[in-house]
Amino acid sequence: MPSGESRSGFLFPRWTNSVRPLVGAALVITPAYIVALFYFGASPRTTDVGYEPRQPVPYSHALHAGDLGIDCRYCHSTVEVAARAAIPPTQTCMNCHSRIRAQSAKLIPVRESYATGMPIEWVRVHDLPDFVYFNHSAHVRRGVGCVSCHGRIDKMEVVYQAEPLSMGWCLSCHRDPEKRLRPQEYVTRMDWVPFEDQTALGKRLREANNINPSVDCSTCHR
Amino acid sequence: MKQAGKRYWRSLDELADSPELRRRVERESPSLASQIWTAASRRDFLKAMGASLALGSLTGCRWPKEKIVPYAHRPEGRVPGKPEQFATAMELAGVARALLVTSYDGRPLKVEGNPEHPESRGASDAYAQASVLELYDPDRSKDVVLRQNRQRIVQTWDQFDAFAKAAFSELRRRGGDGFSVLSEASSSPSLYDMRARLQQALPMMTWYEYEPVSRDNERLGTAMAFGRPCRAHPALDQADVILSLDSDLLMNSPVAVKHAMAFASRRRAEDFRMNRLYVVEPVVSVTGAMADHRCATPSRLVPRFACKLAGELTSDPALGTAADKAALAPLLQQTLPAMPPFFADIVRDLRENRGRSLVVAGPRQNPGVHALAAWLNHVLGNAGKTITYTAEVDPDRPAHVDAMRALVSEMKAGRVDTLLVLGGNPVYNAPADLEFAQQLDRVKTLIRVGLYEDETSLACDWHLPQAHFLESWGDARAYDGTISIVQPLIDPLYDGRTPIEILATALDEEPRRCYDIVRRTFGRLSSAADVEPAWRRALHDGLVEGTRFKPDVPMPLADALSKAIEGIEKEGGGSDASPIEVVFVQDHSVHDGRYANSGWLQEMPDPLTKLTWDNAAAVSPALAREQNLTEGDVVRISCDGTSIEAPVVLLPGQATGSIALPLGYGRRAAGRVGTGVGVDAYNLRPSTAMYTRRADLMKTGRRYPLAATQDHFIIDPVGHEERERRSRELIRELTLAEYKAGPRQLATESARKPRFSLWREHEYEGHRWAMAIDLSVCTGCSACVVACQAENNVPVVGKDQVKRGREMHWIRVDRYFSGDPDSPSISFQPLTCHHCEDAPCEQVCPVGATQHSHEGLNDMVYNRCVGTRYCSNNCPYKVRRFNWFNNLKRLSDFQKMQLNPEVTVRSRGVMEKCTFCVQRINLAKIAAKNDRRALVDGGITPACAQACPTGAIVFGDLNDAESRVAKLHASGRSYALLEELNIKPRTKYLARLRNPAERT
Repeated sequence: MPSGESRSGFLFPRWTNSVRPLVGAALVITPAYIVALFYFGASPRTTDVGYEPRQPVPYSHALHAGDLGIDCRYCHSTVEVAARAAIPPTQTCMNCHSRIRAQSAKLIPVRESYATGMPIEWVRVHDLPDFVYFNHSAHVRRGVGCVSCHGRIDKMEVVYQAEPLSMGWCLSCHRDPEKRLRPQEYVTRMDWVPFEDQTALGKRLREANNINPSVDCSTCHR
Repeated sequence: MKQAGKRYWRSLDELADSPELRRRVERESPSLASQIWTAASRRDFLKAMGASLALGSLTGCRWPKEKIVPYAHRPEGRVPGKPEQFATAMELAGVARALLVTSYDGRPLKVEGNPEHPESRGASDAYAQASVLELYDPDRSKDVVLRQNRQRIVQTWDQFDAFAKAAFSELRRRGGDGFSVLSEASSSPSLYDMRARLQQALPMMTWYEYEPVSRDNERLGTAMAFGRPCRAHPALDQADVILSLDSDLLMNSPVAVKHAMAFASRRRAEDFRMNRLYVVEPVVSVTGAMADHRCATPSRLVPRFACKLAGELTSDPALGTAADKAALAPLLQQTLPAMPPFFADIVRDLRENRGRSLVVAGPRQNPGVHALAAWLNHVLGNAGKTITYTAEVDPDRPAHVDAMRALVSEMKAGRVDTLLVLGGNPVYNAPADLEFAQQLDRVKTLIRVGLYEDETSLACDWHLPQAHFLESWGDARAYDGTISIVQPLIDPLYDGRTPIEILATALDEEPRRCYDIVRRTFGRLSSAADVEPAWRRALHDGLVEGTRFKPDVPMPLADALSKAIEGIEKEGGGSDASPIEVVFVQDHSVHDGRYANSGWLQEMPDPLTKLTWDNAAAVSPALAREQNLTEGDVVRISCDGTSIEAPVVLLPGQATGSIALPLGYGRRAAGRVGTGVGVDAYNLRPSTAMYTRRADLMKTGRRYPLAATQDHFIIDPVGHEERERRSRELIRELTLAEYKAGPRQLATESARKPRFSLWREHEYEGHRWAMAIDLSVCTGCSACVVACQAENNVPVVGKDQVKRGREMHWIRVDRYFSGDPDSPSISFQPLTCHHCEDAPCEQVCPVGATQHSHEGLNDMVYNRCVGTRYCSNNCPYKVRRFNWFNNLKRLSDFQKMQLNPEVTVRSRGVMEKCTFCVQRINLAKIAAKNDRRALVDGGITPACAQACPTGAIVFGDLNDAESRVAKLHASGRSYALLEELNIKPRTKYLARLRNPAERT
């Protein structure tokens, strides 16, 4: 009876010995890889930061806010009084552009909108989930600079999302606001640097203005 | 241990501890019993799972691209996303309700009462709260329609204008011969002006005004007493003793909000003084529920009671003349089958409180009773003190039912050629015996202006869409005569026009636009030298200063009393041939049927029967026993050959032999929501008996399922004994005498035991939000329920879901009976989330979706909730609601415009509940901090508290010792619900005070 053959049916072939550590390694690495993939790959820092949609008008913040130095509030005039920093009406563009570059081909949609009264449809860049209620006035009036959330808009040819705008990111500041506070008069200054130690300044501003950011759920969700 | 004191019960089932109810509550909570998969097979389940997996993986990594659409030219002063408020007015049955409407980015979202207006003071009723839903109703008529040979042909306004030009120039040539207008009641000065102009152009035109439910009996009664029709203005805050003869002053009155407010001002007993309310009525009303003494008396016996009372009162030598006594003498001999046990108390109270008492008769009582009430108020010295009178807007108008009768006889005689129907819905609600709809065939041209393409429109040649009051200019008078300008909040959504514009078209003269017409009328009426500033002021304030009717105290005619008695006898008051009568009542939800298509109002539980989505014949338990009826039995109610079949609802407190039948249901063409809901009671209602009628009752043997919420969310029903013990603790009541006797320990024995908390207590450094609800002044009117629904995007779920206990209201008003089932006391208790400091819901949520905030709010985080429903199971107050379906997804684009953008729209599978209107708290806090000022007490008002006519709900900060809520929490009447559970609820109730007469 060829007993060797029947016994060999119960044995793995010899070459499997070399695969064994590989399988072991794969079993350890794969879950870690998947976890890491989701943790980093699906995080808003990866998926959302850098989102840079094409806009109907090639409006350059780098030119207007940066080179020309127009204050943010000239266009986003409601930022200090309302939840939304409203996108300006076409009227605001035409305040200047009825005279400056009045014939530019790039401004055709603006002139059309002004003439017909039909709005320009901008694409939203900083888009929070609908169950989140963010209030611009509450932040700007406490001395949180535009740059803290929107990045160096004054250097963006096309606006992109600079920060993840995730809940964890919001909370990091709500729990520790000193690092982001500045005197109110400088909120729109993109290149402002504290003239003293930020933590000390933040602490002082916080006490002076009674700033106690809440981390309750209902602060943002309601 | 047997407990002393009254026993409270929510329904007769509960009182009898019926096995059916016990089964229902034993399933933990009826809403949690799974209904979805019971009938489904494994195959269905797999299919659904497969589909949801596939859908789940299809959704991308980034949510959909959103557009921002700014204005091209932003109106000056407009801040996108910032709500604005405008004053306007809503006319209901010829009386204006002054409103303040919140508009969000050009969309009117929320209606409140106008705080500047004396008849509102910021409060409102459920009809006003729900009016915004009507604006966006996709069933409202959108097209000009011409019906020819049973075909519906859509036309344009231009086509109608061309038709009208030809038709009305022909009518002008004939002097208006054969032209009639049938209008709903209106107090609009502009409409009167246009009507006068039209009358001038068409001198032979006839104008009729009809409302199915009106105050005509009061007009006729005051005309009897004073020689001319008057409006009575009772001042409930001035009266120490009030006797209501079948009058639902606190709910079904054009000025119910003002009356409720005035009444409540005398019920808090801050100085240990209270008024006393006696109510004699056939059906249970909200006013009856508030009474200190209530006697259920059949409608036909109320006049006899009034006569008997008048006779008894005049036996006092100081009251009435010898002639009066002689006139009343025969009435003294009359007997009443059921004499109220408190008759002697009323007589004594009225005698002793001359000049501080008040007798009011209800619109269902015949004119004689009103005349008698007016006479009584005169001899008791109340006239000018607790009641004043003003002129009517239109003193020469015939009674509505007479107008309708006259129009029908004209139509019958073939003298009506062209009929213009302005609003109303006469085909549906005209008295049945007049056969109004059949007579319409004799009219050549029928033109209808209406909000909906309803029963009347279907019978007319032309249907013209009417503009809603929130999208049109107009004017109207409040009950006291004050003119309010109706200003639009939005352009007409469906291209409607207002009745005054239609009249301008008929006149074929300029101006044609409603704004110009209203502005012209204002200019004519205004006494100001410069009209423009006065106009702007009127728009801003929501009322025109100085247009109130002059209050007057007319002397009764010499023969007022004999006329009143004659009037009462003419109506056959007092005979009791048939033991059963049917009483037609205006519905708390749909009014006379006009709000049948409002989902909010249909789903609002009736304050007394707690019935949604239906009307039912309310009968007393005694009558039910006699006729062997149980709730949901269908009965045939027949009167002189006509009959209807209606389900029965048992309502303790009904007069035995009186069946209350709410009008306004059984609509045949109301829209998607209202068509076919309930039973049409107008079929039984003849022009000769508009409010009560003898009837026969027969059981049909069929059953009809009713969706009543009265047994839903019974608090902690484990064990019958426990429930019985607890019921006394949920509702607390004190008599004034007990309250006066000194501070009484309201806390229950178990709650007084020392308690040890298992939890680390919270500390509240900033605010500590809390609520206090005064049961002494809550009338159960349910304005809060609809207000909450409007503010918080609470969905309507429909009758089927309500029957399963899945209604979504964040605030409910529990109604309790106590005492004898045939003459019970009634109490109301509004219940919202109590925001417990050691909330049981927070402790069981496996995903942390409900959290405690630093200000003591019990936050609900929808985006975390996975729908385990443990929280609802653990909530002792049963105030959490679960979204079984994606209710708001089905809304049309128009309806979606109503959703409040400040509140998350919840999806399927998510738990929700009252948030204390956290959006209002946050916005107020941000605004205060932006302006660097402190929050003031009363600066934050949740939607329920804002709507409440009596101010029963008070919200504020407990950390502010001077706040109203802190003072109320510390009051001698305050108690917490289920305090012994040691969960420290943030809502406290103030025990209800009653002021029964002390028997001597």
